[in-house]
Amino acid sequence: MIAIDVAGLNVRFGAFRAITDLSLTIDYGEVHAIIGPNGAGKTTLLDVISGLTRPVSGRVTLDGARELTRLSDTAIARAGVRRKFQKPSVFMALSVGENLEIGGLGDASLIDETARLIGLADQLQRPAGTLSHGQKQWLEIGMVLAARPRVLMLDEPVAGLTDGETDLTAELIATLRGPDRAIVVVEHDMDFVERIADRVTVLHEGRTLFEGAMADARQDRQVIDVYLGR
Amino acid sequence: MIRPLLLCLVVLCAVLRAQPATALDRDAVVASACGPATAAAEAGRMIIDGVAQASADDLVWARQLIASALDRSLACPGGAAPLLSLRNRAAFETIAAELTLLAAPDPTARAGALKSLGRRPELVPAGVLDRAAAQEQDTALKAALAEFAALADLGSPDLARRGRAVARVADTPSTRAATQLAALTNDPAYRADAGFRATVDDAITRVGRGLMIGRVLATLYNGASFASILFMSAVGLAVIFGLMGVINLAQGEFIMIGAYGTWLVQQGLHAAAPGLAVWYLPIAVIPVFLATAGIGVLLEVGLVRHLYRRPLMSLLATWAVSLFLVNLVRVVFGTQNLQFDTPFYVQGGIAVIGDFIITWNRLFAIGFAALSLAGTWALLRHTPFGLSVRATTQNREMAACIGIATRQVDMLAFGLGSGLAGLAGLALSPLYNVNPQMGTNFVVDSFMVVVLGGVAALEGTVLAALGIGQLNVLVEPFYGAVAAKVIVLLLTIMFLQWRPEGLFALQGRRR
Amino acid sequence: MTRLFAAVVAVLAAVAALIAVAPELLSPYLVNSAGQLAAFALLAVSLDLIWGYAGILSLGHGLYFAIGGYVVAMHLLKHGLAVTGRVPDFMQFMGWSEFPFYWAGFESFPYAAGLTVVLTLAMSGLFGFVSFRSRVGGVYFSIITQALVYVAMLLMFRNDTGFGGNNGMTGFSVIFGRDMADPFVSRMLAIGSIVILIAALLLCRRLVTSRVGRLVVACRDDEARLRSLGYGTLRLKLGIWCLSAVLAAVAGFLYVPQVGIINPRLLSPDVSLEIAVWVAIGGRGALSGAVIGAILVNGVKFWLSARAPELWPFILSGLVVLVVMAFPNGLLDLGRLRPRALKFLRPARGT
Repeated sequence: MIAIDVAGLNVRFGAFRAITDLSLTIDYGEVHAIIGPNGAGKTTLLDVISGLTRPVSGRVTLDGARELTRLSDTAIARAGVRRKFQKPSVFMALSVGENLEIGGLGDASLIDETARLIGLADQLQRPAGTLSHGQKQWLEIGMVLAARPRVLMLDEPVAGLTDGETDLTAELIATLRGPDRAIVVVEHDMDFVERIADRVTVLHEGRTLFEGAMADARQDRQVIDVYLGR
Repeated sequence: MIRPLLLCLVVLCAVLRAQPATALDRDAVVASACGPATAAAEAGRMIIDGVAQASADDLVWARQLIASALDRSLACPGGAAPLLSLRNRAAFETIAAELTLLAAPDPTARAGALKSLGRRPELVPAGVLDRAAAQEQDTALKAALAEFAALADLGSPDLARRGRAVARVADTPSTRAATQLAALTNDPAYRADAGFRATVDDAITRVGRGLMIGRVLATLYNGASFASILFMSAVGLAVIFGLMGVINLAQGEFIMIGAYGTWLVQQGLHAAAPGLAVWYLPIAVIPVFLATAGIGVLLEVGLVRHLYRRPLMSLLATWAVSLFLVNLVRVVFGTQNLQFDTPFYVQGGIAVIGDFIITWNRLFAIGFAALSLAGTWALLRHTPFGLSVRATTQNREMAACIGIATRQVDMLAFGLGSGLAGLAGLALSPLYNVNPQMGTNFVVDSFMVVVLGGVAALEGTVLAALGIGQLNVLVEPFYGAVAAKVIVLLLTIMFLQWRPEGLFALQGRRR
Repeated sequence: MTRLFAAVVAVLAAVAALIAVAPELLSPYLVNSAGQLAAFALLAVSLDLIWGYAGILSLGHGLYFAIGGYVVAMHLLKHGLAVTGRVPDFMQFMGWSEFPFYWAGFESFPYAAGLTVVLTLAMSGLFGFVSFRSRVGGVYFSIITQALVYVAMLLMFRNDTGFGGNNGMTGFSVIFGRDMADPFVSRMLAIGSIVILIAALLLCRRLVTSRVGRLVVACRDDEARLRSLGYGTLRLKLGIWCLSAVLAAVAGFLYVPQVGIINPRLLSPDVSLEIAVWVAIGGRGALSGAVIGAILVNGVKFWLSARAPELWPFILSGLVVLVVMAFPNGLLDLGRLRPRALKFLRPARGT
């Protein structure tokens, strides 16, 4: 079943075309990775879906019914489409528990479970500003997760993490996968993507270059030329 | 060969004719003047009728006579000077002014007399005007006389002459010309003669149009000069804000310091090189720029540099600096307005159309701002320093990574911005009051320029400065200066609803 | 932190009790100063709420302070006229025999008090809404608030607006039917101000430790993050902004009867900036810090104004630079310095 349907999307910043005629679908139950070189439009695509950037033209529909391009970022989040930012952004001045509470829209019942899931169950009182980089990444995933989103978008979840932390993150994502949830991951770490993703879309200069399994992407001539290298 | 000779001959004839023509019978005039009211009026007529032929000597004499009659010091054969009737007094005052115009040695006295006659030009006899026009040497007065003669002709009984005069008056539209022409619509001839009526109506339209154009141009011009000061103050703010996210609340004080620096240069020149003192404005440019830029660099290195990650704190810090500077200047120089010389090159102006005069002092400010704009533009667009500023504005980390000394760029940009504000102080010193508090008058408008214009491009600052400057000047005559500020602020807030990042925003992904 | 807050509240309550129980121990000047300082402290608390917790720096809080001040001044003048028949100075000055229509109803204290709140909510609500809606924040917001208070000052300087023009309003003679020169009245005003300050402190304390308070802090630290978690930050910011404005207006309402005059200089941008300085010096983001900052800075100012007023701007600017550069959290940093100094000492003692 289709969660997010992007059709004919065009985004421009002044004269610069960030996304050109992009169409793709994100299904429930899958982990869909979006990869591509810098400037390919990956984060911009997430910005459009989460309502931070307005496209020049094109539609983004949720569950085949709700048009997201006209909603505010808040309304989109409330509709269950949530996102972790590229730069880890947690509320430094608040404790881990308070961060999760805010993430859960005030529903305290899920805090403990979420904290266990992200491995911070014993750190609830700790100020988020004192966490390590990896813990901050997980805490942010936890905040996004705390409201049990239907669409979960993760922008570079393993950037700057150690190998061990990357493994844990991959396991975390595997446990988050479910028939009622679509997961979108933007990432540069190809091995990580191959481990978690059911499907990849390769973007290049705002267009779709390839769509399919990661193993096939690695064989694709064009993908190798513009992105993976030989 | 022949022509100069002929010319000499003509001149000689004129002189010979003028010399013996003692048309004024002095004894008869004195007798009349000392007589009863009707006779005194006759004395006035005799003098005026004789003006065309009277010798220069006679005119001086007659001027004295009328003056003494007016202040009752006229020595009459009977002893006591007669009391002038009200009507005669008015007539004598007109005659006194006419004689002053003809016989006073001082051009300002003559100009004054012409001005006082200007209220009723149709009462001035053509003979007086012709003679005045013939003998006047002063160029400005000559032009004024010509205009005056045209106005006087408006009252002429000869309709053709009047029509020509009407057309001539309409050639130089002014408020006075409009009043004169409007008065003609009550003239019997206006009703009686269709041709004359058409001429007058046409002239009124032309003068009205001229006045309107003049008013529009004058408003634009005043707005442009205010905008110039705003631009020079705001461009520094905008560059610094774009670069460091810091708004320098002491920017107004840099304007003030620039003006005080200009004054110091003026005083220094008076003491050291009085001959150069008149050129103090251009001479002050470099020292004022260097001094304010230097203070700006000190401020950046000492304070702002440590705060650019805490922009709200930098507001407080720069405010403290502004408080310090205002009070320092107050203690050292006092609170009164500084006295500036007005050198000839910022005095007066050229009348263009209607009541619009291109005054040199405002042109000085505008020209100055235009040069600063050109300089800043060239600096930002065509020098390595400018490239560094633009790169750092767009992405500080990346700029640092590729080897741009961002700290040094900050420092120099801060110096540049402060220096330009100092120059704004120099440019406004012939226009506005200079005192320790003057900064506040400009600084809020400068902030609004930055907010409106955005920080991404110089064009934004220029447009916003022009817009806010014009708006202030446009609104002020109708609703007052306060309303102008209110409207500017409200429009700015409304504008931000539409474009929160100003006119020219950096394009790209947020975050 | 919490201990400091409790200590501040206790000291305030003690001062109020002292004024009530043993007024002969304090000179009338001291009592009056205490009342004025309490009003300033409340003003500082209002700014700390919006700056320290929500991260929004208003450089125009004098506007709301002045709304309270002007409204109470109008009430006192009308009340004075009703009781003593004294016509306000500015009416005589302007040669007016009747009040402008908008002065109607000001005899009534409840009307004046209600109007203060309504007017403040309307002004702050409208301005906050348009600013926050268009995501104007940070330095932009600060300088626009400054422009707003500056423009308000220019407006009030006009003599034809019916608010006393550049002379402002003074000559308050009666309050609640009692002679304002009566020391009892001045004691009541001081006690009332302190009690309201304590109440406001407790209210704000409750707010900032609640879930809403955590959201406000979260919004300060990362508004975009909070929005993308599904929170409408506009309502949140607007709410705290309006609350802050109302507290500032209440402070002005308390201040003007005690100082006996209001004029447009209260709306000068410098006055509004000074409020931020009290908060910065006392310590941003701590309610007790704001109270301490306001009382300390104004205490020094009161003391100096009798001796060397011309020195004050220099001292103030020096203090600001010192705090901004060396103690970003104000005097609270000084409190934290002590243990570090002790740590230095311990190894020297050979422990």
